[in-house]
Amino acid sequence: MDNRPLKIYLFFCSNSFDTDTARRYCAAREGEELKAISLPCSGKVDLLYLIKAFETGADGVMVITCKQDACRYLEGNLRAARRVEAVDSLLEEIGLGRGRIKVIKPKEEVDVEQIIREVDNFRAKISGLACSNSQ
Amino acid sequence: MIVAERKTIPELIEILKGQKKVLVLGCGTCVTVCLAGGEREVSIISSALRIASRLAGFSLQIEELTIERQCDNVFIEKAAEAIERNDAVLSLGCGAGVQAIAERYPAKPVYAGLNTAFLGILEERAVWTEKCVACGACVLHEYGGICPITRCAKHMLNGPCGGSREDRCEVLPDRPCAWQLIYQRLKGIGQLDRLKQIKPPKNWNASIHGGLRVIVREDHRI
Repeated sequence: MDNRPLKIYLFFCSNSFDTDTARRYCAAREGEELKAISLPCSGKVDLLYLIKAFETGADGVMVITCKQDACRYLEGNLRAARRVEAVDSLLEEIGLGRGRIKVIKPKEEVDVEQIIREVDNFRAKISGLACSNSQ
Repeated sequence: MIVAERKTIPELIEILKGQKKVLVLGCGTCVTVCLAGGEREVSIISSALRIASRLAGFSLQIEELTIERQCDNVFIEKAAEAIERNDAVLSLGCGAGVQAIAERYPAKPVYAGLNTAFLGILEERAVWTEKCVACGACVLHEYGGICPITRCAKHMLNGPCGGSREDRCEVLPDRPCAWQLIYQRLKGIGQLDRLKQIKPPKNWNASIHGGLRVIVREDHRI
């Protein structure tokens, strides 16, 4: 593994995770490059955004959606999950392996603690993966 | 429309091995509609190839471009400069598009990035179904507008085969029996009598089995 900082992108639905909380969380992680990208709905996330994140050197990507059946655009969170699945499979084809991208779906409408816990777990998992996506 | 799907990334990496500068060229027509080779797919595949080539130890320099139609010289012209400044072209057009580019640029390697699958329609969101095999001698008028060659797994012109269960095909149980559809359709338009006629064997010379097909319209050639 090289010595460059861990680079993780956090795409989040602005209805389920507060932008200020996301930015504060990212800023507090010293020695890591965490980027939080706010979306009007997680369904806005596209294969292209996700794969571009990896092309620009991301080691991992998370997509925070809203709770099951709570998407105010009805199917946005379902679409986001399908797209994440497609990118996970594409990453395997590319040779980066599966597991570098994850959907975080809160159990309650606004559950910041659960989201942060899952983000922490994902960061720990990614930092343990052999880092082979350096540019 | 023509329906295609992309080759896998390892296949594409194998095809492009040894190249340095590659133009990934999309097509704005059929393959855009079937989400295989339009502007968006050009970007996704290019990104994937940049990462994969980096991992494989040779970093491809990739330029992205999508033209309106790859099977037409008028539109191919718009890619001329980009084709010239790259070592090779990875075409995300259908088989006709790939060959049109290759014919226009004989000194440039042109590779197919897609597998051209069939002529079909969008059945429902993100589901495409084959409807025509381009046999060259259409018989749709005899079967109520449902093609037994394309849609019957046994390509029977005198059906049904007797093996269908309910209204499902016995070969492909997740598909409807084409002959059930033909019967219902002919009944609906009052043409069930057509089923009493025995159809002679089809002359396949008009299809690909008769060799390369060319259509010439003399009245448009002057």
